[in-house]
Amino acid sequence: MTPIADIGSFNAAREAGMAKLQPAAPRIGVGMGTCGRGNGAEEVYRAFAEAIEAHGLDIRLAAVGCFGACSEEPLVNVWIPGQPLVILRHVHSADAARILADVHQGRIPPDLAWCKIEEWDHITARIRYGAGFPELPQWSEIPFFHGQKKIVLRNCGLISPDDIDEYIAVGGYQALYKVLIDSRPEMVIEQVKAAKLRGRGGAGYATGLKWEFLAKAKDPSKYIVCNADEGDPGAYMNRNEIESDPHSLLEGMIICGYVTGTQQAIVYVRAEYPLAVHRLTRAVEQAREYGILGPSVLGRGVKFDIELVEGAGAFVCGEETALIASLEGFSGRPRPRPPFPAQKGLDGKPTNINNVETWYNIAPIALKGPAWFTETGSARSAGTKVFSLVGKIRNTGLVEMPLGTPLKTFIYDIGGGGVGECSIKAVQTGGPSGGCIPLEMFDTPVDYETLAQLGSIMGSGGMVVMDENNCMVDIARYFIEFTHSESCGKCVPCRVGLDKALDVLNGFTKGAGNSAQLALLDELGRMIRDTSLCGLGQTAPNPVLTTLRHFRYEFDDHIIARRCRAGVCDSLALSPCENSCPLHMNIPRFLGLLKRGRLEDAFESVILDNPLPASTGRVCQHPCDMRCRRLTMDAAVNMRDVHRFIADSILLSDHFDAMVARVADRKLPPTGKKTAVAGAGPAGLTAAFYLALLGHDVTVFESKREAGGMLRYAIPEYRLPKHVLEREVELIRRMGVKFEFGMPVSSAISLHDLDEQFDAVFLSIGTWKESWVHLPGTELKNVIPALLFLEGVASGSVSQIGRRVAVIGGGNAAVDAARTALRMGADATIVYRRERKEMPAIKEEVDAAEHEGVKLQFLSAPHRIVGDPKGNVRALEIVKTRLGEYDLTGRRKPVPTAEVARVECDAVILAVGETIDLDFARGSGLTLRENGTFVVDRFTLETSRPKFYAGGDVITGASNVSNAMGYGKKAARRMDEALMGVKRFQRLSGGFDASEYEAEPATEIARQRPAELAPAMRVKSDAEVVVGLTRGQASAECGRCLRCDVRA
Amino acid sequence: MTLPTAVTPGKPDPEKCAFIDGVIARSTGRPGSLLGILEAVQENNPRKYLCSSELRYIAAKTNTPLSQIFSVTTFYALFNLEPQGDHTIYICRGTACHARGSRNLLESLRLDLGIKEAPDEGGADKLTLTTPDGKFTIRTVACFGQCALAPVVELDHRICGHLNERALAREVDALRQENHQ
Repeated sequence: MTPIADIGSFNAAREAGMAKLQPAAPRIGVGMGTCGRGNGAEEVYRAFAEAIEAHGLDIRLAAVGCFGACSEEPLVNVWIPGQPLVILRHVHSADAARILADVHQGRIPPDLAWCKIEEWDHITARIRYGAGFPELPQWSEIPFFHGQKKIVLRNCGLISPDDIDEYIAVGGYQALYKVLIDSRPEMVIEQVKAAKLRGRGGAGYATGLKWEFLAKAKDPSKYIVCNADEGDPGAYMNRNEIESDPHSLLEGMIICGYVTGTQQAIVYVRAEYPLAVHRLTRAVEQAREYGILGPSVLGRGVKFDIELVEGAGAFVCGEETALIASLEGFSGRPRPRPPFPAQKGLDGKPTNINNVETWYNIAPIALKGPAWFTETGSARSAGTKVFSLVGKIRNTGLVEMPLGTPLKTFIYDIGGGGVGECSIKAVQTGGPSGGCIPLEMFDTPVDYETLAQLGSIMGSGGMVVMDENNCMVDIARYFIEFTHSESCGKCVPCRVGLDKALDVLNGFTKGAGNSAQLALLDELGRMIRDTSLCGLGQTAPNPVLTTLRHFRYEFDDHIIARRCRAGVCDSLALSPCENSCPLHMNIPRFLGLLKRGRLEDAFESVILDNPLPASTGRVCQHPCDMRCRRLTMDAAVNMRDVHRFIADSILLSDHFDAMVARVADRKLPPTGKKTAVAGAGPAGLTAAFYLALLGHDVTVFESKREAGGMLRYAIPEYRLPKHVLEREVELIRRMGVKFEFGMPVSSAISLHDLDEQFDAVFLSIGTWKESWVHLPGTELKNVIPALLFLEGVASGSVSQIGRRVAVIGGGNAAVDAARTALRMGADATIVYRRERKEMPAIKEEVDAAEHEGVKLQFLSAPHRIVGDPKGNVRALEIVKTRLGEYDLTGRRKPVPTAEVARVECDAVILAVGETIDLDFARGSGLTLRENGTFVVDRFTLETSRPKFYAGGDVITGASNVSNAMGYGKKAARRMDEALMGVKRFQRLSGGFDASEYEAEPATEIARQRPAELAPAMRVKSDAEVVVGLTRGQASAECGRCLRCDVRA
Repeated sequence: MTLPTAVTPGKPDPEKCAFIDGVIARSTGRPGSLLGILEAVQENNPRKYLCSSELRYIAAKTNTPLSQIFSVTTFYALFNLEPQGDHTIYICRGTACHARGSRNLLESLRLDLGIKEAPDEGGADKLTLTTPDGKFTIRTVACFGQCALAPVVELDHRICGHLNERALAREVDALRQENHQ
């Protein structure tokens, strides 16, 4: 290579680069950043190289950087002369041959093609690729890229980072050349100031001002330093910038060197980034060969050179004074400021330190001017910022967005929302110096000021998304553990304060904490923040202070209830399944017992945890399935069907009486206390069962004629046969529970009477009022609420519904109503305003409904019900909806369109949700929430009236069976504690010998699925659809359990 | 903090001395030279650590107080003062990896390799555990910057992303097989 010394040789390099970027033959670029390599990009590259060689193809191969869409790696781009550049995704080495074959014939494999680029704005130049492939979307139409503005990442993934010519071809070093020729250095500093460029390392100090300080310092041996010690866990934009486009960094630094009169520069890179070090070293060598670095930059007589220094794994070295100490060969301990590095930095010389990403903005500003730069971003935060979107989010990767973009755009529009069916609850910005921002604040614009107001910081731009499976106490603990171990130990607040804070947080995650410590933690955090020497200590408490502010209830859960809802703090849970179960069933125990053939012991284990195991074995929403660790290997253990098998095997057999006696033997001695339960639904039955076992006298008051609540009256026979439920109720009755049917609380027996006659009362009357939709035509005949319909069918008073039925809603009641209508000989159509995946109903039930012939019509909102003059229903008119903006539940809001359609029908079932009976609630005199549900203490379930407890749907609003039962169980425990003054609940469940269910290695077999009736058979009768596991299946399924309850 | 267990008195062998001399000659006068020298010497050691004799030799040759050398080698996570195993497995404990279950990986790996002592609290950083037979070393790293592949494990310099416990166990088995051959 010959040095570039004039415009002629500069242009020659540019043409050479262009010939590589757009050769006469097709070019294939493989994304070879570290992410790409981690996904197999090297194998892909090798496969291409070998195939090209073997077949002697005239196709050029290049290793390019990363295009940012990490979740789609390996990414490959293909350019056929005259055509757009096409991005292929998820390319494997096995695809190489067919890609080459297609490209050779001018085609692109359609299954791999993701999007196309017809023209690319490198900011420093525009590169036209060509038009064509009309079937492919433009890159900017892909949700992940939509709205991104690539200034910093302008070259990443498109050019070869190892080839300076390609960089020059896309306008590289042109800004430097211009600055050198203009030779008005002070103008450039003014431009950087006017562009309002702020430090991208996190603190956001004005870059132009820093440069001005350095320019004014007259010491001849001053320094420029690039801080590439990117240590924030969760942030990797600097790595990617250097790996994909190292010359942009050099160009920014050289410009700064010239305009501030500095001749020596250092890049301090993390040693954990070997590829970045390698590419940067290569870039520096090439720049020296071209005379872009060295004694006379671009032949203009300016001296400038760059050295690389590798860090050695110390987070604190990201702090500028610590970084300087490290460069000087000392431990990286920060020094007090002043003196600031601008006055006394490396070796006592004036030093200017900027973050990697800051440097990438320099060439564009120098070339296009400050006015162009400030067009992007918000008023006080100009330009863009690169963020790494990682954690529990579907589309992971690097995104460059204008500053001021709302958080929810990142999370939902670009990120595509949560992983699987988990809902997102927070995003952590700014790494260990930042904070956690809750879902409710996702409207927040992301810029320096707004994030600071929320107690977080922009930091280096890491965005780690947390979902319901992440525990915020654990996250706070995690960050403190990190900063604690990275604290340099120089100043007391950070060294000792973080140690104490970690102690407290460790206690919380182990269930050993109290409210006084919570206050202490807050005080400690403020002290550390206000008195530490450097940025590490000053910001280290942010993750704790923000979680305390926004997630206080999670701390309360850990401290008061000793529970970690996310199931992360394993000292607080037996196993993930137990933790997720509203009844906290000891699932590993019954699986272990059944595996050893101990069916009766297994039943005892099950029934003591869950008095309705056969019913819940059929209708539970099975949250355990979502938390099972086996899920990460193949599929969750089918816990629900196993406990159904265990329950059925006893309840429906002649062992019933013997087992009932065995359970009754566990009853504690009579206490002489009288308790009442209002409502014999799942919550009430559960509370009654435990109160009886605890030795209390229990009377259940129920308005209907039989027990079971929604289980009996809302869940159809084909899902839960009544004779199964009856056995469970019988078992509860034999524990000594008395039932008073036809006795609605308030009208037949008043709260006052209950208060007088009983020592404690549990209110669990459920939500039996169907929400009414305000829809023209609801007054017509044959418009019926789902609950009323299902209840009528269950009690035998409704036997027909019409020939064609439309069901409005998407919950379990809607699906149950539609399938029941089908069994009455009707055609059924479910009309739902959102999409299938957003239906609250249990997925298996929706699938079953569809198999049976229920029609599903999505994105349809009811408009009006059309009747005939006789008052009969003729049709349901619907407005088609489209999905609009994301709401705060992470779902997109349905927005009505102008399109109206008709569903011909002669009956309409409304299943839009159930609410509490407001007349009852208001009449009770208890404190209520706006929606009519009772206000209770979150931990004790006490209402505003002494002695009165409440649980189930009356406090949560319509929910599901298992959640209601969980409240019933908790209420019984708390009522007993209040009545007896001691904690006795755990006495009920003891006596199992752990050696009888010892852990054994899990088997590799697949998840066992219960047999089902054929769809055609199902609709002819009320026969139960899911037949259940066989003995062999159930036993095999038990062997799949990984036994998370066993601790080393 | 670990201090060298094998205090080897005297000078390193002549070959090592020559190597160290060469490294020092190349780096003297450059900023950050001490870190670079220590990194190069450690990399040159077959057991990837800095032994006491090497440290003393570097101190003498660079005219650096031995206390400063110890301060630096105990401060930075990269330096090892104990011999490392044949295979080094790094578990990334970055935020994204943590959120995606890297603590479980660390725990299962520790059990798999039969390392008894449990790290205090799941070791966010700076954890080094070597099996008694010297075959494996488990280390944690603050963040690899491979967050999109979380959870990430590096096995002998090879990055593996999206690992679960079973896949990690398989990878470790493969390394064991290598040992046997």
